[in-house]
Amino acid sequence: MQHADLTALRDAIATGAASAEAACAAMLDAADRLNPVLNAYHETFRDHALAEARAVDADARAGRPLPPLAGVPVAVKDNIATVLGHTTCSSRMLGNYRSPFDASAVERLRSAGAVTIGKTNLDEFAMGSSGEHCHWGPVRNPWDTARVPGGSSAGSAAAVAAGLCAAAIGSDTGGSIRQPASLCGIVGLKPTYGRVSRWGLVAFGSSLDQVGPMTRSVRDAALMLDCMSGLDARDSTTADRPATALAATVERPVEGLRVGIPRQYVSGANDPEVNAAVQAAADAYRAMGATIVEADLPLTDVGISTYYVIAPAEASSNLARYDGIRYGHRAQLRPGEDLFTLYARSRSEGFGPEVQRRIMLGTYMLSSGYYDAFYKRALQVRRRIKEEFDRAFAECDVLLGPTAPTPAFGFGANADPLAMYLCDVYTVNTNIAGICGVSLPAGHAVRDGKHLPIGVQLQANAFEEDRLLRAARMLERAFAERNAKARPAVSA
Amino acid sequence: MVGLEIHVELATRSKMFTRAGSPGHPDFYDREPNSLVTPTVAALPGTLPVMNRRAVEMSMMVGLALGCSIARRSKWDRKNYYYPDLPKGYQISQYDLPLCHDGAFELPLPGGATRRIGIIRAHLEEDTGKLGHELPGGFSYEGSLVDLNRAGTPLLEIVTAPDFDSADDVVAFAQELRGICRFLGVTEGIMQKGHMRFEPNINVIIELEGGGTVKTPVVEVKNLNSFKALKGAIEFEAAAQVDRWREDGRVMGPGAKSTRGWDDVRCATVLQREKEDAHDYRYFPDPDLVPVTVDDAWLARVRAEVPELPHARRARFVGYGLEAKDAAALVEDREPCLFFEQVVAELGGGAKAGYAAGKFLLNQLSKRANELGCGLHRAGLTAAQVAGIVSLRESGALGAQNVDALVAAIAGSAQDPKSAAEAAGLLVVRDDAALDAWVDRAIAANAQAAADVRAGKMAAIGRIVGAVMKLAGGTVDAKTVNERIVARLRVARLGEGA
Repeated sequence: MQHADLTALRDAIATGAASAEAACAAMLDAADRLNPVLNAYHETFRDHALAEARAVDADARAGRPLPPLAGVPVAVKDNIATVLGHTTCSSRMLGNYRSPFDASAVERLRSAGAVTIGKTNLDEFAMGSSGEHCHWGPVRNPWDTARVPGGSSAGSAAAVAAGLCAAAIGSDTGGSIRQPASLCGIVGLKPTYGRVSRWGLVAFGSSLDQVGPMTRSVRDAALMLDCMSGLDARDSTTADRPATALAATVERPVEGLRVGIPRQYVSGANDPEVNAAVQAAADAYRAMGATIVEADLPLTDVGISTYYVIAPAEASSNLARYDGIRYGHRAQLRPGEDLFTLYARSRSEGFGPEVQRRIMLGTYMLSSGYYDAFYKRALQVRRRIKEEFDRAFAECDVLLGPTAPTPAFGFGANADPLAMYLCDVYTVNTNIAGICGVSLPAGHAVRDGKHLPIGVQLQANAFEEDRLLRAARMLERAFAERNAKARPAVSA
Repeated sequence: MVGLEIHVELATRSKMFTRAGSPGHPDFYDREPNSLVTPTVAALPGTLPVMNRRAVEMSMMVGLALGCSIARRSKWDRKNYYYPDLPKGYQISQYDLPLCHDGAFELPLPGGATRRIGIIRAHLEEDTGKLGHELPGGFSYEGSLVDLNRAGTPLLEIVTAPDFDSADDVVAFAQELRGICRFLGVTEGIMQKGHMRFEPNINVIIELEGGGTVKTPVVEVKNLNSFKALKGAIEFEAAAQVDRWREDGRVMGPGAKSTRGWDDVRCATVLQREKEDAHDYRYFPDPDLVPVTVDDAWLARVRAEVPELPHARRARFVGYGLEAKDAAALVEDREPCLFFEQVVAELGGGAKAGYAAGKFLLNQLSKRANELGCGLHRAGLTAAQVAGIVSLRESGALGAQNVDALVAAIAGSAQDPKSAAEAAGLLVVRDDAALDAWVDRAIAANAQAAADVRAGKMAAIGRIVGAVMKLAGGTVDAKTVNERIVARLRVARLGEGA
């Protein structure tokens, strides 16, 4: 059952066709075997997970009613708080940190019956697009271990792709769910800002961060979101809306679907095979009776610069709490050294270079005299980007384009931070505008004799997840054969 | 010139942005260090602030009482700096859109005049924790200890215009504001607990001999938590700034502001920071919180909650005929004042009732309250019982000499004063025949006094009154006795003449 999707596993457990315990044990065994290669997990919770799974099996045997995710093993990105194990953000700063509470998303998944199987590695504090900036070592792509899985939800993407869990949750601030989903050949959904509570998600860019599902199918993403979303009194930025009910409608194609393709998205800077995948998706939609319209998003290019003002500015303030005073890494002081040395040394030792770079960027941009030129201006551009999307969505239901400009790249290939930042050119604006987007598999490219997944992205306006996932499901169905041509090289 | 910043710790049950109990609320006074801490207070990873609506409402009430406009849209900003008592590394405050702004308060001055004090703004923020260097029990500790009980407490910062020109007016305003806050129920205003902290900005305008003036640099004195310190700091600075100017000639201007603290022992201010613009707090809107939108309905609900304020009540009580000092005494504390108002209402309201009730409370009941060490409202009588006693006194049915006995008889019980007084034989005897008999016996026994009264020497009547009271055993009212004696003596004289 390891390569069935979560929904199929859930159904099999409920009908007694599969044992939750056996499924969970198989995934844990695979994780033990493959994690030394992939480094997807920081830790797994064997005893806990098996006990929970056994309880679900008992409930199933006794014919007791089962919640919607009963017995399915779900992995949690390690910047999402869990009482189980640690919550390290893949940072030395929080290397030994244990949270006294569960994140809201974790709590809701658990009450829906999901079994927390482990915590997955990420680019430190979710800052990165490759999975390389992890204090616990780089995460590897199951399709080609010489390549990165993408980031920052690197471990979650690798674990789902390699069959080390039924599904995972990640966080997406500028593409951190969708880009690794694309590079690992899975489905990654960034919900509308405010859909899922951020309580328990360790803050990076608070106005951009969103928790979302990373799954093997579009219907799994729908089901997972249904179980996580909805108003939460502990996060004032959650929308005053009930939980979604997408799983019930996701199989229904959107009649008269209008698919917009922003001309800025089919760029010559993209890998040709990525552009070809987008073209294939457009053709598939057309064949299904959808209308393809050209959309215009001239602000696509300024997204990255806007993002690299807003996200670091918020991060510089959000990460100020890691000062070595109450918890986290505290540097040794020599006699006579003062409080500010304690701060500086703890933070210099505790944070990796990318995190330090962004803290410094953000601090600079919020400083007196620079605020108007950077932060204030970025907020103005942010409004314009949102307006631009609103205009585009007046003409179409979803926007189609690449998730990332290229398939998975090699370790160290984007050593220049600016080159790395460009990996997110098609994903950051979704967060800046607070709308929703999903990446789904769209075939493969072959490099060095290895199949590498290519993803395409669909975006829809705020709170239009229903249309977004129904459209995604249409394409997933059309691409079933295309995607079945290859499987990850390293897999359970 | 003096402008004043006042920090008021609001008495909400929970903190500004989390459900932890707030040390400004009586239920959480003087708790063990770090016992009022939730994950949000400690700024654990993944925690988020959620606004306490009651704190916003309390701030709106204070703003309305100070004549401020209430912003229909305000927001929360982060003030970023590092300090061990600041768990998040930033303080949530309001930077450019305060909740209350542009108010003015007519400060009553002795003699009935007022002085208009401009209120620039009043904004809400969260308090910091505390750093200490002592273990519980007073044991010294090498290093610093952080207590986060106060961290996250709602703090209202009120900023006045520099409209004061004397320490006395500043103190009068501070005291008036304390009274207002207490009447609004937003704090108990206990100074020792830091419920109110003052930070005056002081400078001096020096008139030069040859005409013209110079202004000395502004000094901000931090964290004064008593009226005495407030007065002392302002008076000290007023003198010291002239001396400093004579020495260094420095005048007001950009970057010239300094920050000082108050040394209670030496009664002097001490330099803390030379230049205030050394800090860059990197304010920006807090993305974890949504802007505060105040609609008509909410504002109307809060406005309806604002009770009559102390200065208005004092004026009304003076209108009852009470002296200014009595009126002030009745408004001093909220609960006793509300108790007084209740007594007046029980009596049917009006100036006469107000006067009688006020006098009774301050002259008779306050004695008992003082002995018990409690407020007038806690002296063991309900407002209805007090009103009953006042009525008995006013109608002449209860003599002054029996008031204490009656109070003692019914205190702590639900007894009606009239029936209790009757049962205990404390009421004036309405038997005129008996009274006349006592009066006649008293006149007969004090012939000389009677003669004096007849001769118009009214002072002599006291002797006869005393004799009647003695005979009646306290069941008559002196006023009635007095009238009766006069009547008897007149009748007698008429009788003699006939």
